[in-house]
Amino acid sequence: MKHPLTNNYRLLGFYALFWAVIGVINIILQVLWYNVPLTYSLLDTGTNYVLYPLLGSSIWYSIRYNSLEEVSIFRLVLFHFIAASILCGIWVYISYAIYSPFISSENNFLKNGLPSKVFAGYVMYTIYLVFFYAVNYYQSLKEKIKKEGEYKALIREAELQALKSQINPHFLFNSLNSISSLTVSDPEKAQEMVINLSTFMRYSLMHNEKEMVSFSRELENIKLYLSIEKVRFGKKLNAEFEIEAHCLNAEIPNMILQPLFENAIKYGVYETTDQVTIKTTCECEGNLLKITIVNDHDSSTAKRKGEGIGLRNIRKRMEIIYNQPDLLKITDLKTSFEVQLIIPQKQALS
Amino acid sequence: MTEKLQTLIIEDEELARNLLRSYLKDQPDIELIGECENGFDGVKAINDKKPDLVFLDIQMPKITGFEMIELLDFKPQIIFTTAYDQYALKAFELNAVDYLLKPFSKDRMIAAIEKVKHHIKNEENNDEKLEELSNFRSGGEFIDRIVVKDRSKIHIITVDQIRYIESLDDYVMIYTYDGRHIKQKTMKFFETNLDPKNFIRIHRSYIVQVDNIAEIQQYEKESYIVILKDSNKTKLKVSKTGYKKIKEVLHF
Repeated sequence: MKHPLTNNYRLLGFYALFWAVIGVINIILQVLWYNVPLTYSLLDTGTNYVLYPLLGSSIWYSIRYNSLEEVSIFRLVLFHFIAASILCGIWVYISYAIYSPFISSENNFLKNGLPSKVFAGYVMYTIYLVFFYAVNYYQSLKEKIKKEGEYKALIREAELQALKSQINPHFLFNSLNSISSLTVSDPEKAQEMVINLSTFMRYSLMHNEKEMVSFSRELENIKLYLSIEKVRFGKKLNAEFEIEAHCLNAEIPNMILQPLFENAIKYGVYETTDQVTIKTTCECEGNLLKITIVNDHDSSTAKRKGEGIGLRNIRKRMEIIYNQPDLLKITDLKTSFEVQLIIPQKQALS
Repeated sequence: MTEKLQTLIIEDEELARNLLRSYLKDQPDIELIGECENGFDGVKAINDKKPDLVFLDIQMPKITGFEMIELLDFKPQIIFTTAYDQYALKAFELNAVDYLLKPFSKDRMIAAIEKVKHHIKNEENNDEKLEELSNFRSGGEFIDRIVVKDRSKIHIITVDQIRYIESLDDYVMIYTYDGRHIKQKTMKFFETNLDPKNFIRIHRSYIVQVDNIAEIQQYEKESYIVILKDSNKTKLKVSKTGYKKIKEVLHF
């Protein structure tokens, strides 16, 4: 850490001003009240309030390398006593070197002042010590807060990164298997699926760079995802969308919908032999975009064990982005499963 | 081998079935005798047709490939197929069963069939391997359902329907709210695979659902019984360690 006085000119200014004011008051008091000759007063003030502040600024270095936490009390006291003595010695020596032409053989104000000057030197050292320790503490605190802030931003970033949905390997390999099958039976369809899968993958990779996308873009991607899954599941999987056109411009977090549909397929389509419809509706209410996804759900096969990791991640991601809880609502209605995502908008959608 | 392997495909996805069928079409040792779209049909087909070889998908609707194995009276050679399941792979490797990772090549499939033929020739014990595999749970979590078969009907019992489980030598009797089902499994299996927060092994012979306990009574000096919440007020013996476990779970 740099010296606070050379690093911060405002502080240096205050420092100079402070001692100047004290010095002027001292001169006025000595001359007008105690009838000290002006020359003596100037010399006294100069050594006390100009010379000492100059020398004393070096005390900073003595505290920089003797942090209160790391050094034992005994060492600390000993060190500062020695440092105070040296500084005091130098100060008194220079002071009297300056005085010498003015000190005649008879006792006078300057000559008699020696013991109190030495004492004052130690007292001033102590005051400086406290002052610099305070400055040092303040500076490290400020730095710590700043670092903590940076750290928190980093953590938030990392958390968001981790919460972003990854392409499920199960989905990927099953799709590749479908493609492998189609190359034999229907090469054209295989090609179409390869292209769809690539487009979907590209979109999901892009989301590493961009946090927000338009709802229409995200919806397009979902339709792509569903079309890929439709190839696997055939008639079993049906998707319906009821989207109001004016909602399409809304901003929503990238790839936030895909895990919801993946979930609907996992619990709705995987687990049943019947046809399943995934219905997506949306409405805009003032500054809120509400997206609702409902899928048929066969409750006889298995109980859902609370919230899966996919839904939990979405909830957390929404919480981090919007700094607001409960943006994901889940309703289990025995024969159907409903997920509602509420996405706050900067501006009302019209 | 003079006879062809009677082969069955159990796979829920049509495209995956198509591919397997096309791979198998020109295999001289294979005779495809049927295809099933789900585990229920699969169990029935295996028990009826007694195939030599089954290609079995793990993740299927209603019941999984693993759950299916539990329900088989007759155990054929099985080649498992799966797209991605780390837990299942571990189980396969531990039990040295044959498996194919989707998408797989024809050559890879032929190699698996060759291995099966080798197993059959050496009369390796297949049942034990599959038995062990069926103790394995995909996902490595506590089970949330149990599949049982009464005569020809398959029931899926979700764990919250279980009142208690009683040991009967090599079998267990599972008492649910609407009846009881026998199953060939060990108490140890249920003790380790049911969530211990909800199910307590109160005795060598009993595992009880916590919510189903109405009362715990002192029976003799050092022994206790639990009384269950049913109209018959079923009484079950509690062992010393069982009593300790109940105390732990119910915090008294």
